Amino acid sequence: MSGEARRFILGRALSIARKEVRHLSRDRVTLAMALGVPVGLVILFGYVLDYDVKRVGLLVIDRDQTRVSRSLVDVFAAADYFSPLALPPGATPLGRLEEGRAKAVLFIEPGFARATAKAQPARAQIVIDGSDNQTTSVIASYLSGLQNAASRSLVPDTGPPQARLRTRFLFNPELNSRWFVVTGLFVVVLGMVSVLLTALTVAREWETGSMERLLSTPVRPLEIIIGKLAPYMALCLGAVGLTYGAARLWFGIPFNGSHGTFLLACVLFLTCTLAQGLLISVVTRQQQLAMQFSNLTGLLPATLLSGFVFPIESMPVFFRYLTVLLPARWFVVACRGIFLKGAGIADLALPLGALAVLGVGLVALAVKKFKTDVEP
Amino acid sequence: MNAVEVSELTVRFDSFTAVDRITFAVGVGEIFGFLGANGAGKTTTIRVLTGLLSPTEGRVRVAGRSFADGARTIKSRVGYMSQRFTLYDDLTVSENLAFTSGLRKIPPAVSAERIQRLLRFVGFNHSPSALVRDLPGGLKQDVSLVAALLHDPDIVFLDEPTAGVSPAARSKFWALIRGLAREGKTIFVTTHHMDEAEECGRIALMRAGRIIALDSPAELKAQSFPDPLLEIEWTAGAPAGWRESLLERGAASVVPYGLHHHVMVNNRAAWDRFVGEHTGRLTVRTIAPSLEDVFIRLVEGADR
Ligand SMILES: Nc1ncnc2c1ncn2[C@@H]1O[C@H](COP(=O)(O)OP(=O)(O)OP(=O)(O)O)[C@@H](O)[C@H]1O
Ligand SMILES: [Mg+2]
Repeated sequence: MSGEARRFILGRALSIARKEVRHLSRDRVTLAMALGVPVGLVILFGYVLDYDVKRVGLLVIDRDQTRVSRSLVDVFAAADYFSPLALPPGATPLGRLEEGRAKAVLFIEPGFARATAKAQPARAQIVIDGSDNQTTSVIASYLSGLQNAASRSLVPDTGPPQARLRTRFLFNPELNSRWFVVTGLFVVVLGMVSVLLTALTVAREWETGSMERLLSTPVRPLEIIIGKLAPYMALCLGAVGLTYGAARLWFGIPFNGSHGTFLLACVLFLTCTLAQGLLISVVTRQQQLAMQFSNLTGLLPATLLSGFVFPIESMPVFFRYLTVLLPARWFVVACRGIFLKGAGIADLALPLGALAVLGVGLVALAVKKFKTDVEP
Repeated sequence: MNAVEVSELTVRFDSFTAVDRITFAVGVGEIFGFLGANGAGKTTTIRVLTGLLSPTEGRVRVAGRSFADGARTIKSRVGYMSQRFTLYDDLTVSENLAFTSGLRKIPPAVSAERIQRLLRFVGFNHSPSALVRDLPGGLKQDVSLVAALLHDPDIVFLDEPTAGVSPAARSKFWALIRGLAREGKTIFVTTHHMDEAEECGRIALMRAGRIIALDSPAELKAQSFPDPLLEIEWTAGAPAGWRESLLERGAASVVPYGLHHHVMVNNRAAWDRFVGEHTGRLTVRTIAPSLEDVFIRLVEGADR
C-alpha cells in the first residue's frame, strides 16, 4: 500500500471515528453502560463471589494414632486453611461429607509412622467433596502446598521441595481468592460490554438507513471498521481505567506487573472483542439479532470457558482445545499474570501472541464479511 | 457521450427478478424521470447506477465509468439522495455535512465554502448547528440534497425526493432541480407525482422490472392518444342512448368527466356526422391528455 493510500484510509476512518464520538457524546445511556457497568459489576460480584476458603472442615480419621500421624494432622491445622474435626460416634465419613459438616476427609492408614521411619512411601488419603468446583480447586491447591510442608516436617531428608506443586502459592501467596476472582471477572465483564457496544453500531446504521448514504460514498469496509473500532477502544480503555482503580482501591488487589504490558494486553483483547461485535453487526444488520448474538457469543463462552469459573485443566479435552479460540481465555491468563505474578511481555508471549493473532483475524473477518450491497 | 448508458440490465435477488433486461440512455444535462408503481424496480435500478448494487447481467456506464472500473469510481462521480431518510438524526446539520465531506475527501476549505453556497442555494434558513431531528421534513430533504451535491457531481440521482413533503416544499424542491439542470448537471429523478413527471425532459415508465414506455411527456401523450381527445357538453340535455350510438359509430372511448365527457375519436368522418346531427345542442373542445391519462392507458396496454 502506498503512503497516499494509507493516508486516504486513515482520513476516512478518522471522519467515521469523529462521527461516532459525536453520537456517543449525546448518548448518555451508552456512555453510562460502557463506563459504569464494568466497575459496578466488578465491585458487586467481587463481594458476592468470595471464594476465599478458610478453615475448611477437615474430618480426621487417624487409624495410626502415633506421634507421627498426629504431627501430620498438626501440619494441616497450623495452616489455618483447615480446621480438623473428629468423627463423632455413630457417624460415617461419607455421611459427614454429604451433610456438609466437612468438606474433606483425611484418612491416615495404620502403619503410617512405621513406613515413614523406614523411609518407605507413607500413605495418607484425602477425600474432597467435589460438588463445589471452586472450593475444590482451592482446597486442592492448598493440599499441594501442604504436602511439601508435611513431607519436610515428617521426613527431614526428602531433598529439595517439589517446586512444581507450589505454583499457586507463588502468585497468590495469601491464597486470596478474591484477587483471583476480580481479575477474571474484569475480563468477562469488559468482554461482554465491549462486544455489545460495537455489535449495535453497524446494525443501527443499517436499520436507520444511514448506511446507504455511507456506502454511496467511496468508503471502504476497512475504513468503516477502523473508524468504528477506534472510538470504542478509547471508551473501553476508560472503563478499564475505572475498573482498575476500583480493583486496586476497593479490593486492594496488588499490581505487580508493568502498566505498559497491561495496556498492551487490554488493547489486544479489546481489538478482539470489538471486532467480534463488529463482525456480528456486519452479518446480522439488525440490532435485536445482534444483541442476542453478542450475548450468546460474548458472555456465555467467556464466562464458562475462559477459566474464570471452571479451571481449564479440568475441562473435557474438546473444550480445552476450544478455549484456544477464545480471547477471554488468553486475557485471563495475561491479567492474572500481570496483576499477581508481575509477568512481563516475554513471560506472556503466548497469551499476548494469541490475542494478537485472534484480533487481526477477527478484524480481517469483519472487513471481509462487510457486504456493501444495499438491501431494501 | 451520454451521462448514463444502460444495456440489457438485469438484477435478480435469488430467483426474483427486480429489474428485467432494461436498456436506455440519459443525455448530459437532461432531467430524466423514472415512474412506476411500488416495487416496479426504480430504486433497484438507481442503486445499480450509483454503484451500490452489482448488476446480475447487462452493462452499465455512468459518467463514463463502468463496474469494471470498480464501484468506488462510480460512487465518486455521482450524487445520490436515497428514498430513505439517511441523515443522522442525533447530529447537527453541519456535523452531518462535515461527515459526508470527510468520506468524500473534500478539502476542509473547499468543503466549508461549498456547504455555505449550497445551503444558500437550497434556501436553508435554519441554524446549521440545529440537530437534524428538530428540522421539519422539507428542510431535512434540503439538507439531504446538499449532502448529495457536496462533491459537485455531474450526475445526481434523486429517489423520490419529494415523498411526504408539503406541496409548497415540493414546488420549491423542483425549482432547485431545474436550477441544477441549468448548471449542466444531469438529473435522474423518480416520483409518484404526475405534475412532477411533466417537468422532466424525458420519462421512463417502469412496470414489473421492465421499461414499458420512454419518451418526452408530449411525445408519450401524442403516441398514446394519436386521435384528438375531445371534451363535449350537452347544452340542451343529452338525447337518450347517445353514448352507445357514438361508440358504435367509431369513438374509442367515452369517459364521463364531471358535467362533461371526454371522447376519443378514431373515425373522424363518423364523428363529424354525429356533431352535424346535434348542432346547437353540443359544444366541443379539443383538450390535451394528462400524463395520468397516458399512464392509465399504457399500463392497461401492458396488462393486456
Ligand atoms: N435486496 C433485495 N432482496 C430481495 N428483494 C429485493 C431487494 N431489493 C429490492 N427487492 C424487491 O425488488 C422489487 C423492486 O424494488 P424497488 O425498491 O426497486 O422498487 P421501487 O420501484 O423503487 O418501488 P417504490 O416505489 O416502492 O420505491 C420489490 O419487489 C422489492 O421487494
Ligand atoms: Mg423505490
